[in-house]
Amino acid sequence: MFALIGSVQRNLRFSSLRQLQTSSKHLSDALFVHRDSEIDNTNSHFEFTEENKKRIDSILKIYPDGHKRGAMIPLLDLAQRQHGWLPIAAMHEVASILNVPNMRVYEVATFYTMFNRRPMGKYHIQVCTCTPCWLRDSDSILKTVCDVTNCTVGSNSADNLFSISEVECLGACANAPMMQVNDDYYEDLTPEITTSIIKALMKGERPPPGPQNCNRYAAEPITGLTSLTSEVPDRSFRVRPDL
Amino acid sequence: MLRLPLFRAISRSNGRLTSAVCFHNSAANQQQPQQQPELIELFIDDKPVQVPPGTTVLKAAAMVGVEIPRFCYHERLAIAGNCRMCLVEIEKQVKPVAACAMPVMKGWRVKTNSALTRKAREGVMEFLLVNHPLDCPICDQGGECDLQDQSMAFGNDRSRFTDINFSGKRAVEDKDLGPLIKTVMTRCIHCTRCIRFASEVAGVDDLGTTGRGNEMQVGTYVEKLFMSEVSGNIIDLCPVGALTSKPYAFVARPWENHRTDSIDVHDAVGSNIVVSHRTGEVLRILPRVNEDVNEEWLADKARFSYDGLKRQRLITPMLKIDGKLQNVEWEDALVAAARALQDLPPNKCAAIAGCMADAEVLVAVKDLVNTLDSELLTTEQEFPKSGAGVDLRSNYLLNNKIANVEHADVILLIGTNPRFEAPLVNTRIRKGYLHREQNVAVIGPKLDLTYDHENLGQSPDIISQIKSGSHPFCEVLKNAKKPMIILGADVLTRKDGDKILAETQSLCKNIEKTVKTDADWKVFNILHTNASQVTALDVGYAASLEEVKKAKPSVLFLLGADENIKKEDFGESCIIYVGSHGDNGAQIADIVLPGAAYTEKTATYVNMEGRAQLTNAAITPPGMARPDWKIIRALSEIAGHRLPYDDLHELRDRIAEIAPHLVNYGEVEPSNFLKQVYELAKTTQGSFLPDPIDIKQKSLDQFFMTNAISRASPTMAKCVQAVQKQKQV
Amino acid sequence: MSNPARIVTRQVKPLLSLNENEARRRVFGLYKAWIRQVPFILQDYDIPKNAKDLKMKIREEFNKHRTVKDIRVIDMLVIKGQMELKETVEKWKNKGALMFYFKDTVEPKPTDFMSKFMNGTD
Repeated sequence: MFALIGSVQRNLRFSSLRQLQTSSKHLSDALFVHRDSEIDNTNSHFEFTEENKKRIDSILKIYPDGHKRGAMIPLLDLAQRQHGWLPIAAMHEVASILNVPNMRVYEVATFYTMFNRRPMGKYHIQVCTCTPCWLRDSDSILKTVCDVTNCTVGSNSADNLFSISEVECLGACANAPMMQVNDDYYEDLTPEITTSIIKALMKGERPPPGPQNCNRYAAEPITGLTSLTSEVPDRSFRVRPDL
Repeated sequence: MLRLPLFRAISRSNGRLTSAVCFHNSAANQQQPQQQPELIELFIDDKPVQVPPGTTVLKAAAMVGVEIPRFCYHERLAIAGNCRMCLVEIEKQVKPVAACAMPVMKGWRVKTNSALTRKAREGVMEFLLVNHPLDCPICDQGGECDLQDQSMAFGNDRSRFTDINFSGKRAVEDKDLGPLIKTVMTRCIHCTRCIRFASEVAGVDDLGTTGRGNEMQVGTYVEKLFMSEVSGNIIDLCPVGALTSKPYAFVARPWENHRTDSIDVHDAVGSNIVVSHRTGEVLRILPRVNEDVNEEWLADKARFSYDGLKRQRLITPMLKIDGKLQNVEWEDALVAAARALQDLPPNKCAAIAGCMADAEVLVAVKDLVNTLDSELLTTEQEFPKSGAGVDLRSNYLLNNKIANVEHADVILLIGTNPRFEAPLVNTRIRKGYLHREQNVAVIGPKLDLTYDHENLGQSPDIISQIKSGSHPFCEVLKNAKKPMIILGADVLTRKDGDKILAETQSLCKNIEKTVKTDADWKVFNILHTNASQVTALDVGYAASLEEVKKAKPSVLFLLGADENIKKEDFGESCIIYVGSHGDNGAQIADIVLPGAAYTEKTATYVNMEGRAQLTNAAITPPGMARPDWKIIRALSEIAGHRLPYDDLHELRDRIAEIAPHLVNYGEVEPSNFLKQVYELAKTTQGSFLPDPIDIKQKSLDQFFMTNAISRASPTMAKCVQAVQKQKQV
Repeated sequence: MSNPARIVTRQVKPLLSLNENEARRRVFGLYKAWIRQVPFILQDYDIPKNAKDLKMKIREEFNKHRTVKDIRVIDMLVIKGQMELKETVEKWKNKGALMFYFKDTVEPKPTDFMSKFMNGTD
């Protein structure tokens, strides 16, 4: 042990303390150029459903003339929700709706990690591995998810039911560790609960989202409320009696 | 797509009504006395400077001669502010600020060489270099690389970079942008100049950034050719070696090239160029800044067709012996030509000027033909001789000058596609469209002009309708302050070309009556496609092709004329071809006299606005080829009609006698007598033909090969192929 | 000068020789020295010339100045000849510099337009 520290110190002494290094090579599992494939190619066609076309109309109404391109993200999201993921044909469709060059849509679609430009499973499981979750052992959650779904991070399971992503903070740190399945947050996880959630998903059920391992309603302290514990006063509280 | 100001969007959605309101507003603004904006005083390195509000720190520094380093900032592009190289310290501010994007404030003391500034630059430089490959020895940008220069000037002198994992630096896959642009995207520093150029100047929104953070790449996302006629400029814009010229790859280092200033002759814009050459070979062509002509851009045909200068060249004189062209000595060829010229009756000698003939040879040939009692001089692209004809320059010039195209508020293009006929005029129109609320309308086929425009239809009758006021477009014209009508030169070669010209001129006259324009604002403009056309008309090539054909000349000179000329039309003539390339013209010739191309002679060219400019001989003509005018001069001596000039100076004196403005280099003689032109237009009779107005160059693949040089160029052939392939997809 | 008609009989300072005879002697001395060095020059320099050629050339070079009468000019030419000899003998010259004496005559450049045109020169 001490020998190890000694060698580390020696190394530090010989190499400068202020070395720069490149950022780590692997940063994203996504590819930022398009490759034509059978299901995702520039010749394919994408059409919004009638229902979504109505939605598009109301979305576009929000944006003033000359700034319609602001509706790009909502439209892309709509396309992704309709199709399960975002094929290049959908980007072209959005571009033609907004009357912008295709490239401007590609830029947006590749910038945001929540636009999935590859086919996704029915359930997209996003496990948070940011610091608070990681401190609460999100590694075990991720491992459980991978084991139970028999799938690796960044790919789909064989039955196309699950896709797993490792994501940065989803903003539920008070309920760490957590994961997101499609639009639902499952919080306060343990490996066992995670397993049961995924088993339920496999059966086609939708386990109730929210904190799992405790009786919390949301992000309140796990030991119970520490403030605002008194009764909610009635309407006449501190109001002048003559009113 | 660029973000458009709100009122443009409104005017587009609501039609012309609101656009009229727009113009009204701008008129109201002009009526108020122009308020002189108060100047702001600030100090750059303790040097006081007064600038108008809104000026950026970088520009203010440039005014006192302080150069702030930059990568992403470019004078002609929008400000991006993403490279951070221009960070400077401002006194009493905590952080250094990006000089390129920061508007100045009163009393600021900017320190461009303080410790903080230097440290900031060193830091930016270091981070850029961490993600930049160390491949300068094999990089084509080496020697003219901003990153190299600035790391020498502002970077740290030692490296702290160690690749502790030996994992290599950031690597990005290369993109395929077509046969002109070589990409090594690992070298990219994400300055986004190319993206901004593509969307602002070229109007082809194919480039962009994909991904984010360290994974960000500049590219097209889908594999795609960069389909622009001015794509080569992103090579010049790229501050590093990410975008380099494919034909020039691994050819030469910039410091070992000789540079000769010259003029481009592939279109009638007269772009200023620099010819880089070495060992008697043209290695590449770069643009040269001329604010009045090409700013600092260059069209692809001008930039990349130089390899056509080495192919299909005529290098020895040739004579048709037994129906076959055979190589001969100069003496034999000249004697044969002189024999053909012996004892000619009047009007039996003719000359047709090609698209790249220079003023010198045009004058020499005119003198020779005139001494042989003939006036049969014409150009391969015909210009109507009715009305003012070639007598008044205003009849055939882009009277308003190229630089003023961007100031126009309404432009009507008749039978022209400036995007391919004069790409740098088109970038001006696009500039006006983006920044000056320009309205553009086209009479002609449906075109992609890189900007929104109204297509009024293809029938020539529309000109008359606008003239008489019955066309809806008149409303737009009525409200214009600075309207311009640009008439394509090609449409005038139609049978009813004279009628179109006259009708357009009387339309312009009407507009000038109704619209109060400035005195020096010219409504009537012609956009030429051939570099030699204006010169030829200036020196008096006043006949028409039809006249020449009818005269059945015994001797016909072709000055590099390859288009529209058929052997059948001149069955009995002895055709003497003087030119540089073995193209259609040389094929039908009886005597071929090899001339010099534009990089091989010192010659005068006049562009479409009437600006005389000089090319300089960069290299010597290949083989036995000689400068064109000397061939004519030598022939004249052997034929016994010695022309009275032995060198360029004497010839220039002669040119000055004919047309003094042709030797007034770099200047535009203001075009006058437009009123007389309009009056003379009334004399034109005839009526329109029913055929719709058509344009030769409608799509990009038709742009690349239009003359003898570009037809001989393999690079241009590859471009055509690439564009056609892209179209099929 | 107050009187332009006045004849100036200024005695010029001699370089080496006081009279014509002395100058003549010096010239012959130099000539003989050159001739004596010819075999050695041939030995030292690998040039495609023989002794006869060299002697002819030396004679030619001396004959070039046979019309010179001014003693001072003769002396100066002798001094230069001595320097040249020294450089040659000491091998300070190289082969090419020696062969420069044997340079062929150069054809004059064409001056009229037609010859220039045929020649391809400007």
